Amino acid sequence: MKTMTESEALALLAETFSEPVASLRPDTERATIPGWDSMGALMLMAELDERFSLELTAETSKNMQRIADVLDYLRTHGALKS
Amino acid sequence: MSNTKVEHFSVVGVSTCVPPRVFDNMERAKDFGELEVRKVVSMAGVQCRHVVEPGVTATDLSYEAAARLLDQLGWARDSISGLIMVTQSPDYLLPSSCCMAHKWLGLSTDCAAFDVGLGCSSYPYGLYLAATMLSTGGQKRILLLNGETPSLFTSPDDHATTLLFGDAGSATAIELNDQAAPAFFSLHTDGSGFDGLIVRGGGYRDRTPVDPRDNFLRMEGAAVFNFTIKRVPALIRETLEFSGLSVQDIDTYLFHQSNQFMMKHLIKKAELPIDRVPFVLDRFGNCGGPSVPLALTQGGRQTQANGRLMALGYGVGLSWGSAVFNLAPGAAVMHSEYSKLVKS
Repeated sequence: MKTMTESEALALLAETFSEPVASLRPDTERATIPGWDSMGALMLMAELDERFSLELTAETSKNMQRIADVLDYLRTHGALKS
Repeated sequence: MSNTKVEHFSVVGVSTCVPPRVFDNMERAKDFGELEVRKVVSMAGVQCRHVVEPGVTATDLSYEAAARLLDQLGWARDSISGLIMVTQSPDYLLPSSCCMAHKWLGLSTDCAAFDVGLGCSSYPYGLYLAATMLSTGGQKRILLLNGETPSLFTSPDDHATTLLFGDAGSATAIELNDQAAPAFFSLHTDGSGFDGLIVRGGGYRDRTPVDPRDNFLRMEGAAVFNFTIKRVPALIRETLEFSGLSVQDIDTYLFHQSNQFMMKHLIKKAELPIDRVPFVLDRFGNCGGPSVPLALTQGGRQTQANGRLMALGYGVGLSWGSAVFNLAPGAAVMHSEYSKLVKS
């Protein structure tokens, strides 16, 4: 599986949610990211499927409340370099 | 696996019909905000939708598609021995919609007619039923009607669905032909996702729901998207393998017009040539199952010359399926707007 660094992951999330990369940190809350709405969630699913063949389920996606949750998910699934 | 090969199955005509009333999605900017509507339009790819006037149903649209097609083909009405109506927008809880269509078209009493309740996957399922009816004998000509009016079961307050769906009807004429190339079908179901797309009210489990939102479609977008990206590329691979064909052997992939973002992801994941996938979402929206024949009649691909097609339906159920078939040489491919044709 391809892997990425945390900064590369943050850049990917910034692009996915149409946010400046500087405004995303692990502790950034989902509620403060306008682009992480229902459509943003679909885009994240598509990105993870395309880049890592990861199947992010609807339930897991719904439970993600901070950027750190996405990073943890990537780490757990071997897509993030430790 | 549910894979079937059927011989001597010939599609000689496909006709679609949409309401003349057109809604431009940007008109809803005043309700949902311009930015939000632009975002949905950009992602879903739906600029305009054709929507029925009150009192016009999926059966009306499909009837007109069929009446024009039969006239074009010159089929005698008493030569049709089977009528299948696939819809989840029936006129009544009973009788079946096919019975009205049977009357309006002036078909013979020597004609089997029935409804099938499937949504986005309905076109390949309908073709499969027609093909297997023909292959078992006793039938020579079958008319497959596939119509939906999702605009009638989407809430005008739900921007995720009301900006997505349009209405359409279709008719497909199918007959026995010893010279026809074999057709291939792959059909699947996962009932564990039955509530991913659901209208809870109106049936016999809850005739008059307390929550008025239960009279309208509820869509778990993320769950449906997840299902789609998991199942559809696998369905395409399975169908090609079963039929012994390569990606390049299919001239046109007729996708259910679910959502532009979703379709593009599926095309990329399945490694299909995008120029072989017609998109008609921008003008018609997601019309449920009939979006597949609509992609054929309105997609701009030159499919009339005996091209090999793969129809792909997926969604509510959860149900998904494919059909690989050829259009007969000189097949009628037609499109019209609903005009209240006289009915028998």
